[in-house]
Parts: sequence; structure tokens; C-alpha cells
Amino acid sequence: MTSVAGHLNSQDFEGAYKSWNGCSPDALFEAPITTYVENDKKAIATNIETQARYASVLFIWTDCDREGEHIGTEIRETALKGNRRLEVRRARFSNIERAHILSAAQSPIHIDENQANAVAARIELDLRIGASFTRMQTLTLRPLLEAHGMGEEVKVLSYGSCQFPTLGFVVERYFRVKNFVPEAYWSIKVMHLKDDIRVNFTWSRGHLFDRLAAFIIFERCLAARLARVTKVETKPTSKWKPLPLTTVELQKCGSRFLRMDSQRVMKIAEDLYTKGWISYPRTETDQFDEGIDLRSIVQKQVQGHAWGQFAQGLLDGGFNQPRAGRNNDKAHPPIHPVNFVDPPALANDEERRVHEFIVRRFLACCSQDARGSKSTVSIVYGSESFTASGLQVLERNYLDVYPYDKWTSTQQLPEFAVGETFEPTEAFMREGRTSPPGYLTEPDLIALMDANGIGTDATMAEHIAKIKGRQYVSTRPRGRVVHAEGEDGDDVFDEEPPVRGARGRGRGRGARGRGGGDNNSRGNTGADGVQEFIPTTLGVALVQG
Amino acid sequence: MASGNADEIARSISTFLSSKNVPPTQAWLQNTYLPSIRLTTPVVALQKTALFRILNADLKASVVSSTATLLPPNITDPAVKDKQVRGPVTVQVLDVEDIGRSRWSQVEALEAIERGETTKGREVIRVVPDENGPESTSAPEEAKSSGPHKLQLQDASGAQVYAMELVPVKGVGLQMLIGAKLVLKDFTVARGMLLLEPRNVEVLGGKVELWDKKWRDERKQRLKQKAGMRNGG
Repeated sequence: MTSVAGHLNSQDFEGAYKSWNGCSPDALFEAPITTYVENDKKAIATNIETQARYASVLFIWTDCDREGEHIGTEIRETALKGNRRLEVRRARFSNIERAHILSAAQSPIHIDENQANAVAARIELDLRIGASFTRMQTLTLRPLLEAHGMGEEVKVLSYGSCQFPTLGFVVERYFRVKNFVPEAYWSIKVMHLKDDIRVNFTWSRGHLFDRLAAFIIFERCLAARLARVTKVETKPTSKWKPLPLTTVELQKCGSRFLRMDSQRVMKIAEDLYTKGWISYPRTETDQFDEGIDLRSIVQKQVQGHAWGQFAQGLLDGGFNQPRAGRNNDKAHPPIHPVNFVDPPALANDEERRVHEFIVRRFLACCSQDARGSKSTVSIVYGSESFTASGLQVLERNYLDVYPYDKWTSTQQLPEFAVGETFEPTEAFMREGRTSPPGYLTEPDLIALMDANGIGTDATMAEHIAKIKGRQYVSTRPRGRVVHAEGEDGDDVFDEEPPVRGARGRGRGRGARGRGGGDNNSRGNTGADGVQEFIPTTLGVALVQG
Repeated sequence: MASGNADEIARSISTFLSSKNVPPTQAWLQNTYLPSIRLTTPVVALQKTALFRILNADLKASVVSSTATLLPPNITDPAVKDKQVRGPVTVQVLDVEDIGRSRWSQVEALEAIERGETTKGREVIRVVPDENGPESTSAPEEAKSSGPHKLQLQDASGAQVYAMELVPVKGVGLQMLIGAKLVLKDFTVARGMLLLEPRNVEVLGGKVELWDKKWRDERKQRLKQKAGMRNGG
């Protein structure tokens, strides 16, 4: 039994095409390519060839994803050189539990040529596009580099088909923030005091961007004088427990909750894996296979000081099958703790925090959703409808072991009856202003890359690290989040959910060349705050040309 | 006789169009429409064609200015809190605005379309969906909302007025064509702004090609200007 370390083969262009001045960049799309074994892999290749001579069958056990399939063909090719009559089989497996492995060994399949070819196509495209664009952009932007005194330091501006869109997202958001024009809007607020409780009603229209229109509507509400209750409803509601943990999710949560950048989180996760504390941390699967014995994993955590009691509670009847997400890479299960380890035994604080997160996440997956009761009261006032709602959290369930999610009860609503009328205690118009979105933070960026299919779980952190390392972007701590609106936290940001409106404090200027200001490109933040990405002048030039 | 025939046809068309609240001026009938048709075509077809043509023409040049079609005088007086108008009033649409969304977000949406991001296969996802379960309350998705809409209307005499949808009216929205004709009946005017609801608006349709094209071409620029203005106050 032997192994490889990633791809065996490498590709490059032949002859004259290899040199930068040997041809124009676009010629690389048609240029011939050779496949060869890199020096550092030669020993592995030779080993396989040799071993092949003493065998009659080659059994491939590489990861069951596309890349693994392709590597399987590389191994096959090398092995056949040593022994032309070798039979080749492939094992299909998705976890390393004993029973599963035995069953996979007993029912071998053939290598999927289509998947392998897909990867071969990917490799060729990466080479052609990467090389031609790298040459083109380096040659084109050389004058800019020299103008900024970076001509010596940066010899090559490499292009990567994942790196580029990653940088693109950062640049795009930067310009969105810079070009943003704040606008005034108006909304109608209704508050009624009943049973000593201040009930705040929200306008169904939210807000309008035309003052006269809002005013006219408001005036008509006042003219109507009385509001009438149209709906009183109390419904059970729940906050879903989290999905089983994938690599992307670990990176996002690491950035958000643990204040660690994605590369650091992955490094620690890999260490935890090699020491045997958690399962393989590179996975896209967010559903647990039916066959996995989850209870025994929970059992192992009962000794835990901080979460042991909760784990015991799960075993005593609180256990619930985890939610199943939509992804299954068929190669690895979701990330979960494997053996118990007492936190003080771990190497450092960062390891402890990541490990704790993984354990808590797993236990939360096996719990029940949090349950609550949501009451809503709707009224008609003039021609408009308004709603007030209240939330009572009845059972915290998974929230007790997973402090990373928040769900709190609001003030309880007083009793209202349908048809009841009242004159609102307060009704007024309020003006607000839209504010720009924030610059991208690492979890935002990861989420965008994931949603748009840029990079794989294994490479996303690398791409981000690369654009930081090459000084295409710099990071800085985010300005304090300012909530300028009233009690009911009515902030309107012209922006999507994950970004809570941070007023990008200070002008978001592209840092000059070498990265101005606090080029803390390690991106490792203390407890201070989330880091946001700002493109450098170089980064902007790359994207905009 | 040919001319007697023409007079009869003209009268029947006039009556038909009046019943649709777009009574034609003699000038339009005689100088624009009649010369363009064949008198031997069946009258029903001629009436339908006349309706189509007049809906695609400028009201000021084609429809009679009378109490049966015009906005009442002094309708834009902002001092008047509330006023009922019986109508009918025939108007054409000069401008449509979505006042439920910020102008800047509309500019961004237009630019995304220009970059080709709305064609299938070239979409760029910028809003990542929340994963919090059935009761998740995300911040309002501004980019998706539509309305209410505020219209700039003009009657056959050239008088202009603003109107807004109090209740969404089918056919009123950003997909509307500039120059489209509406008939309004039994509506309220509050501080100079007409309040539209499905029960008091009839959308006749039509457009004025030239105006519509100009509107579409200049839309982004206008939105930017308006956004900038709001900034100032």
C-alpha cells in the first residue's frame, strides 16, 4: 500500500512558448502542452512504477471527488509504465469507519473517465488562461509598477482564474461604497401605550423616498383618527438548529465568531485532524450519512467540562437527527469531533477555540430547534396597515450549547382584540437617510465566493491569502457600527443582510502602491473587530485594466 | 357619394372614440387620420384602428379639450387638503417613478443589467441568502420592491399633475410606456396629488414612441440626478 501527495503530473508549454518573449500571450491558447513529472514528485512516481511490477491488480483509494478521480488516472498511467498487464480497480468510500471501508473493498468499481477528463480540461484551461493573462497583465502594467517604485519587488503579476474574481468582489464593493449617494426617506411611526406597554407598530410600506407622498398618506391617517385592529395572531415559531459543518461554514464562522482569518482556522483544523481530535476538515458535505453512529460520538463528549452535561442530556432523550443540507461531495462527512480531548491538553488558545466551536456545533446539530411563540397584531390606520410583533422564546434547546447564535424574547405585547379601535398615543413622520454598504469582510467574501462557485472548500482561503500577500488588497479594522435610528432599530441600509451598516469611516481611498496605512496583511485580528478588505491601487488597476 | 360616406365614417369614429373617453379633435380626424385610411374598409376595423392611433398620439394634438376630458382647474393647489373629482379625465403618462426604492439602488440595478448580469448563466450573486429558518427576518430587500409608483400626468390641454398609487393598480409600474393613456373617475386629490386606486383608474394603454425612447435612454441619468438632489435636501 502506498500513496501520492496530490497530483503526480504537471503541465507546461513546449519550447519557445515557455519564454515570455517567445510569443504573444494569445498564442498560448493554441500552443502545444507537455505533461511531465515534477522533480519533487519523481520519487513517488518511480515508487509506483516499481511496485507495479510485483502486483497484478492496482486498487485506487484516492478521494472520491473529481480531483481524486483524475489523480487516480495519473497513478494508473504511471503504474502501467511499470507493468502493462496491470488490472485497475477503484474503491468508492465516503468515510473511514471500519465497516464502510470493508464494504468498499469488497465492491470495487472502475475509474470514472468522464470526471477525470473534466479535471484534465480544468487543468489545461487553468494553464492556458493563467499563463496568457499573467503575461499580458504583467507586461501591460509594468509601467504602473515602476511608477510606484515596485518594479524591483514585483516581477510578475500573476493571474489566477479564482484569484481574479475574488479580487473583483473586493474592488467592486469598494467602488459601490465610494460611489454611493445617500438619499433621504420618510416613514410613518405609530406607537400606542396600552397596559403600560409601549407598542411600536411598523409601517407595511417600510418607507418612501418621496416626502410629499409620505406626508399626504400621513395626513390622511391623522384625519382618520382611529386605528382598527384587523388581525391578532399567536403562532409557534422556531429558530432552526445549524446545519452540519462544512469547510466553508467553518471559515465563515471562524472569521465571524472566533476572530480568526480563514487560513489560520484551516491550519488549526488540520492540526486537530492530524492529532485525531476531529474528522477531515476539507469537506463540502452538510448532511450526515444514515450509517454513522452519531450517539457514540456524543457519548465521547460527555466527559467535557463545559458541554458534558448537555451531551448527557442528548443521550438521555434529547437527541434529534441532524438537519440534512443539500450538499454531499461523497468523499467526506461533515466536520465533527472524533475523540474526546480535554481542552487544557490542546496546544494553545486558538486550538481550544476552534475545537470548542466544532464540538458545540456538532452537539447543536444533534439537538432540537429552539422554540418560541410569535405574536403579531395588525392594524389599519387611514389607508395604511401597520404591524407590531413580539417574540417569546419558550425552549432554548440547541442555543444552550451553541452561544454563537442569538435569539432573545422581546417585550411581551398587550392583549388586543380584532375589531378593537383606538386612537394611537403617538403617530409621526420620521426622516432617515440611506447609508452605504460596508466594505467586504472575510465572511462576506467567502460567502460570495461560495455562492458564485469561485474556488473549492480547499482553496478559498488560499485565494484570499494570495490577494492579501500579493498586496492587491489590504485589510483594516472596521469602523464602529453606528445605529442612528430610533428605538425599534429601524436602520435601512441599501444593502444585503450579512453586512450591518458600518459607516466606512474615513475615506475609502485605495492605498498607494505599497499599501498605505496599517497594512496588517496577516489579517489576524485581536478582539477588536472585524477586518474589512480595501483594494490597493494595484488591485484596482488589475481589475479595471 | 364618396364625401357623404366620409362624413358618416368620421362621425361614427368620433362617437366610438368619445365612448372610450378619447374624443378626437376635428383637426386630428380630418388631417391626420382620415387621409391615412381606405374608406372602403369595414367601419368596425376603422374604429379599432382609430383607437390604436389615437392612443399612440400626443393627447394635446389629438383629443378634444373639454370638461369631459380635462383636469379641473386649480387642481394642484397644495393648500387644499382633500378634494373629490368626478371626472372622467383623460391623461397621458409623462413619467413613472418607483418611490419605494432609493434612486441609487435603481441606478445600481440598471448598471447590473447593462453589464449583462441578468441574463441566465451570467448572473453574479451579490446577496447571499440567510440560513436562519422559517422566521428569519432579513433587512428589507430593497432591490426587489416595486412601488408604490408616482406618475406625472398631462391632460389634453397640457396641464400637468402628479399622481400616486395608494393601492397597487394593475398596469401601472415601471413597465409602463411613456405616453400611455389613462382615464380617471371618482378620484381624490390631496394637496395637489391625485390618489390612484384600481377602482378609479382605467388604463387604456398606448404610448408615444418618441417620448418613450427618450425616457428610457435618459432614465439612468435622471435617476442619478434625483439621487444627488435628495442628498442636498
